[in-house]
Amino acid sequence: MSMFVSASAAQPGAGVDAVLTTTVVDDVVTTDDVVALRDALRGALGTTRQDLAPAVDADWRTSWPMLAELGLPALCAPEEKDGFGLRADAAVAAATELGAALHGGPFAGLTASVHALAHAADDPVADALLAGVLTGRRVCAFGRLGRDGRVGQNERVARLVDGVPGADALLLLDDSRDDLVLLLDPADWTADPSRHRFDITRTCADVMPVAGRGHRVAVPGDAARRAVALYELLLAADAVGGVRRMLDRTVAYAGQRQAFGRPIGGFQAVQHRLADHAVRARGMTLVVAEAARRFDDEPSQTRRDVALASVSVSSGAPRLLHDLLQLTGGIGFTWEYGLHFYERRAHQDARLAANPRAAQRSLADVEGWTDGR
Amino acid sequence: MAADVRTNDVQANVVEAGADIEAYRAQVRSFIAGRGVPMQGEGVRVPRDAEEEKAIRGWLRSLHEAGHLGAGWPAEWGGRAGHLPIHDLVLMEELIRGDAYRPLDQVMLAAHAIIEFGTDTQKRELLPRIRAGEHVWCQLFSEPEAGSDLASLRTRAEPDPDGDGYLVTGQKIWSTDAQWADMGLLLARTDPAAGRHAGLTAFVVPMGLPGLDVRPIREMTGYAEFCEVFLDGVRLGAEHVLGEVNSGWKVITSGLASERAFVGANAVQLERMFDDLVSLARTARLPDGSAALEHEDIQAKLADALARVEEVRLIVRDTVERILVDDEHPSDGPVAKLAYSETNVALTELAMEIIASAASIDAEGAEVADRWHHNFLWGRALTISGGASEIMRGLIGRQLLGLPRA
Repeated sequence: MSMFVSASAAQPGAGVDAVLTTTVVDDVVTTDDVVALRDALRGALGTTRQDLAPAVDADWRTSWPMLAELGLPALCAPEEKDGFGLRADAAVAAATELGAALHGGPFAGLTASVHALAHAADDPVADALLAGVLTGRRVCAFGRLGRDGRVGQNERVARLVDGVPGADALLLLDDSRDDLVLLLDPADWTADPSRHRFDITRTCADVMPVAGRGHRVAVPGDAARRAVALYELLLAADAVGGVRRMLDRTVAYAGQRQAFGRPIGGFQAVQHRLADHAVRARGMTLVVAEAARRFDDEPSQTRRDVALASVSVSSGAPRLLHDLLQLTGGIGFTWEYGLHFYERRAHQDARLAANPRAAQRSLADVEGWTDGR
Repeated sequence: MAADVRTNDVQANVVEAGADIEAYRAQVRSFIAGRGVPMQGEGVRVPRDAEEEKAIRGWLRSLHEAGHLGAGWPAEWGGRAGHLPIHDLVLMEELIRGDAYRPLDQVMLAAHAIIEFGTDTQKRELLPRIRAGEHVWCQLFSEPEAGSDLASLRTRAEPDPDGDGYLVTGQKIWSTDAQWADMGLLLARTDPAAGRHAGLTAFVVPMGLPGLDVRPIREMTGYAEFCEVFLDGVRLGAEHVLGEVNSGWKVITSGLASERAFVGANAVQLERMFDDLVSLARTARLPDGSAALEHEDIQAKLADALARVEEVRLIVRDTVERILVDDEHPSDGPVAKLAYSETNVALTELAMEIIASAASIDAEGAEVADRWHHNFLWGRALTISGGASEIMRGLIGRQLLGLPRA
């Protein structure tokens, strides 16, 4: 059991309120249990040295139960369901580390699913799956049955489901009925991953539920909305993890790589761009952290915070990474160097939530700019 | 960027002071309401006439008398018991929110240098006059050949052959408020043989002395906010030296470090400007008669801008929290300054884009548009002065990222 798990388990109900000391880690003021979680995760993921070349782990399912033991699936489940409450800050820290490590699992979707499932009232099916997910035995991905996704007479499709194949359960938000459909077995759906191969660090597919399958799950509207907000926030955190790791690596490279007799980081053309990126990376990190910090505020505030984080990261991260590629030169252009993994992934993080556009629209609503019509 | 792990009690500090801070904020806000002399525009500080000058001086005096300005000074010079450094930030934020005239050099720099380095006589003569609004101060630092690279300045203070003082000769430039300031804080070279920083001395200079000529520079905004100051054999005595001879660099840089938390007020400024940007988009009419704000492309750009403003708000808050517990990193100031001033420019550019796309702007909107025309031009003052963006990037590159000097 990790420090994170044991600290909370030792004082049930006390949870995070018992934690008084804070620490600044990578620009974010955070609690010591989150620091412990981060360190444990880096140890488990092999990313203690963030400047090393990244690798893709296609076999992430094998080690998932071990990560689950650190408490990862339970970060946003209520305590009465054996979770840690709504620890959006810890979930953001975990998503950041998983993003930096190019982890293959659908952590954002899984965390959103757990939050929703935990709010299903008197639903033994949901409870049973939840128990399996919390132990790491099962992996539940998250998606949305789109309004435009009608394929045949009665068939509907959920586009862009992160973690399929790989996941063995799916929770699909049905936009037309405002409820959720739970698919408990891979035999309950067919998946087409053929159009989603750009991000090679994770799997993704368009999913069609098999007719007649699926368990309707009723959760309060607020829990469903929070699940979506969590999903979007954690996707942003995932991209921030990649940005920070690649920025660190590029800065280290610029300090070592010599040209014309000096490190290229000593040339203003390189140094000043890195400085701009460092400022922007700090901004993104803090906007995501702020959304996590205030995550249990009233819904309109949460919506605004998550939209700001989504706009900031989805418009900033891909461009920043693409410029790091330029600053890294020819070596960055190689497959082996691995910068491209993060570019692919950051793009996919944005696409999974239809950002930046969806978040821009959301902000326009929250800010009242759309009231005029 | 290496993982920077420090334990501190920022949150505890802020939570503990929270109630007090909000009470102080309410107090300041009600003090300013209806009383503050309004600013003419962004960065427009010079009084238009004698009447406005009188009003501004009176306003500065009343801020001191009420214990808001100069509250952190030692008690014997008028400081207020119970003052917390964060109160300075709250004051500045509320002055911005209330669009009230706010002090620049006279409090932030000169007063702190005098308190820290002045003789008893200097303190007695100068500090009460600042509090009374009688002395407005300006800086005499930059020169035509020494801007961001201040330590290369050439203005000479040489021994006066007719006494034990100095004769000062040289040219200063970009001095804000110099045309109506009563006193100037001067940095001049007293030992040309010493190293760049080592041969400089700080002086307090009455702006009316013979040989001192102030010429306002008309800037591209149409206003004349900065001045050239010519010094031709200006006679200064030993009593005008502030701090030790040849220690001027220390005197002025320690003053620059004072009231660092003021940087936090920039976030309020940006939020206020963003609101004004939305007002502009509401009143600007496109050729089909619709408001710019009704259009998705404009909304998307505003959303991007709002996210940038939020990034700056949090960067600045983060910096202030560290300043308040005396735990800031040397690069924090440059990060905040670069983020704020460049985002400000981005807002003004978006405003100009909105204005350019508008066929008509109603009477109320015309006032907003005029403000943004000015803001657009003025915005560059912020990325050039007080350490240009290029200097900030270099400091961040070296101090935060650990890269070699460019």
